[in-house]
Amino acid sequence: MRSVLYVEDNEYNRKIVRQLLSRTSYRLREAADGEAALGMVREERPDLILMDVQLPKMSGLDVTRALRADPATADVPIIVVTSFALSGDDQRAMAAGASAYIAKPYSPRELLALIQTFLAER
Amino acid sequence: MKRSALAAGDDTAGPDGLNRVVAFLLTRTPLGALVDWVARVPASVHTKLLAAFLVITLLFITMTGVSLETIQRTALQSRKMHAAHERVEWSQHVDHTLARQMHFTALALLLRDEASVARILRENNRFNDALARLEAVGTSQERELIQQIRGRQDGVMDAVADIANAIRDGRLDEARAELLNRQERGYQEIEALVARLVQVENSQMLALKQAVETANFRSIILTACFAALAIVLALLCGFIISWSCLLPLRRADEFLGAVAAGDFTATIAVPNRDEFGAQAERMNRMSRELGRLHEEQQQTATALRQLNARLEQASRAKSEFLANMSHELRTPMNAILGFTEMLRDGLYGDVPEDLKEPLDDIQTNGRHLLGLINDVLDLAKIEAGRMDLALEEYAVQDVVDSVRVSLRSLAVERGLEFESRVSPRLPIAYGDARRIRQCLMNLAGNALKFTRQGRVDITVEQQGEELIYRVVDTGIGIPKDELEKVFDEFRQVDAAVTREFGGTGLGLSITKRFIEMHGGRIGVESEPGRGSTFWFAVPLRVAVTA
Repeated sequence: MRSVLYVEDNEYNRKIVRQLLSRTSYRLREAADGEAALGMVREERPDLILMDVQLPKMSGLDVTRALRADPATADVPIIVVTSFALSGDDQRAMAAGASAYIAKPYSPRELLALIQTFLAER
Repeated sequence: MKRSALAAGDDTAGPDGLNRVVAFLLTRTPLGALVDWVARVPASVHTKLLAAFLVITLLFITMTGVSLETIQRTALQSRKMHAAHERVEWSQHVDHTLARQMHFTALALLLRDEASVARILRENNRFNDALARLEAVGTSQERELIQQIRGRQDGVMDAVADIANAIRDGRLDEARAELLNRQERGYQEIEALVARLVQVENSQMLALKQAVETANFRSIILTACFAALAIVLALLCGFIISWSCLLPLRRADEFLGAVAAGDFTATIAVPNRDEFGAQAERMNRMSRELGRLHEEQQQTATALRQLNARLEQASRAKSEFLANMSHELRTPMNAILGFTEMLRDGLYGDVPEDLKEPLDDIQTNGRHLLGLINDVLDLAKIEAGRMDLALEEYAVQDVVDSVRVSLRSLAVERGLEFESRVSPRLPIAYGDARRIRQCLMNLAGNALKFTRQGRVDITVEQQGEELIYRVVDTGIGIPKDELEKVFDEFRQVDAAVTREFGGTGLGLSITKRFIEMHGGRIGVESEPGRGSTFWFAVPLRVAVTA
């Protein structure tokens, strides 16, 4: 069973993805901050990570960089959820090592399509 | 101060001999003290110069007077000399006629004729005449001698008369005896007196000559002295007055140099109580005032720097606040729009027909609110100067295609033709492709919203080094007096239009700002009822500094 890790501090946004993926076969794990995310990835390597940028304790971009620096997790696909209005966020995300980015607010339909694209490739 | 002023003078004029001499004169001789004294005299330079010229002029007048007096005295002396010469001449004449008288007396004695006797008398008359002339011009001492001569002459004349009578009577022996006894002796006495007279005259003339020579010598010396004194005084006055002016000038030069170099604590001290003193006082006031202004300016600059630092801090705080707000506002929007979409998509089960419209309304208004939030945050970032362009190479066709794809559904919904025409073979452009897309999106979106029927076209062409983007519609158009205002914030032609067509009123304003950030221009041509053409021109390749 494919596993997806969603790193997001807002409960309602986590709930959207939880309910979005409840109809699929993907197993969702959730982390509310950057440090917890790192711990969970080390505990069990996910098949895809959805990473918000602004997180407590450690930013999504820093977590992405840390994962890319570790050979064990360097090739895990990471979709970074950026804020469109902050120009350059997408470029920073790609520079930090993101596999793709999606601007917030996202359409659940489009997000699901993106997730499926990544997981189907494997 | 005096030495330093001179040193400054040496620096500017170069260490030539003349300057060293002047420095020596001013520092090692009483001339320095004199210059100082003249400087302290509380009178204007004009007055001092006038006084100096007056002194020298007076000296020349005195010299002229002395010369005139000398000339007068010389003239007098020469007159006296002339008179003395005359007297000597007359006294010699007296001597001469006396000799002739004696000669003719002796001749009469020999010839014993009347003619010889008459000659004696004639010579006697000449003698008397000469004596009278001498007496007329003679001095008192001479007159006394002349009186004595007259006295003797009378005696001699008696003797001559007796001798003449004796000769006429033929008493020759008696006449000879008379001659030898009386006349000879008388003549001898007269001769002695005349000799004395001549001697007196000669000695007087000699004395006079010596006096004239002495006087002449003295007058030459006196004139020379006056001339020398006048020259020395003129030089002295010139030196002292000129240096009493030059020293404060040099000090002023030194002072102004210091002030020009930014030393506002510099002061100037001159002993002068004339124009230069007043000027020095004014210069000191100027220096103090400049110093005060400088200090004020420094304080103001410091205050401004602190204020600027605080403003920068505030601006950073504002930017951080904006970034945070962007996140904070978007997060709940994400949830609202996300849940609505999932509801509408039937993720939670089939949606009853009567709930579909309210769900669509929630979605429409949620997206509108999101657009507002994005526009407000963009504008706030631009105003805060925190909006940076992300410059990159891009293909114009890609930008236009992306806009067309995004708006195609809106065009279909409104029943409008929506086409784009991009010049073929446009070179790769350089700029912020996403912002250009946002601008074109705003213009095309507006065109679609404000057009009820007809078409909307996007065209792009190259003109020189510029790309011209145009959005042409067949919409309601804009009245002429509103054309200038369309790019202002929160500006739509009227509220009714806003209600009908929606929009934040910020799109055109943001578009204008982005185009200007690219170094471009934006404009609109419109005819109410016929349609509008919004266009913007951006450099094909945006300068990196823009």
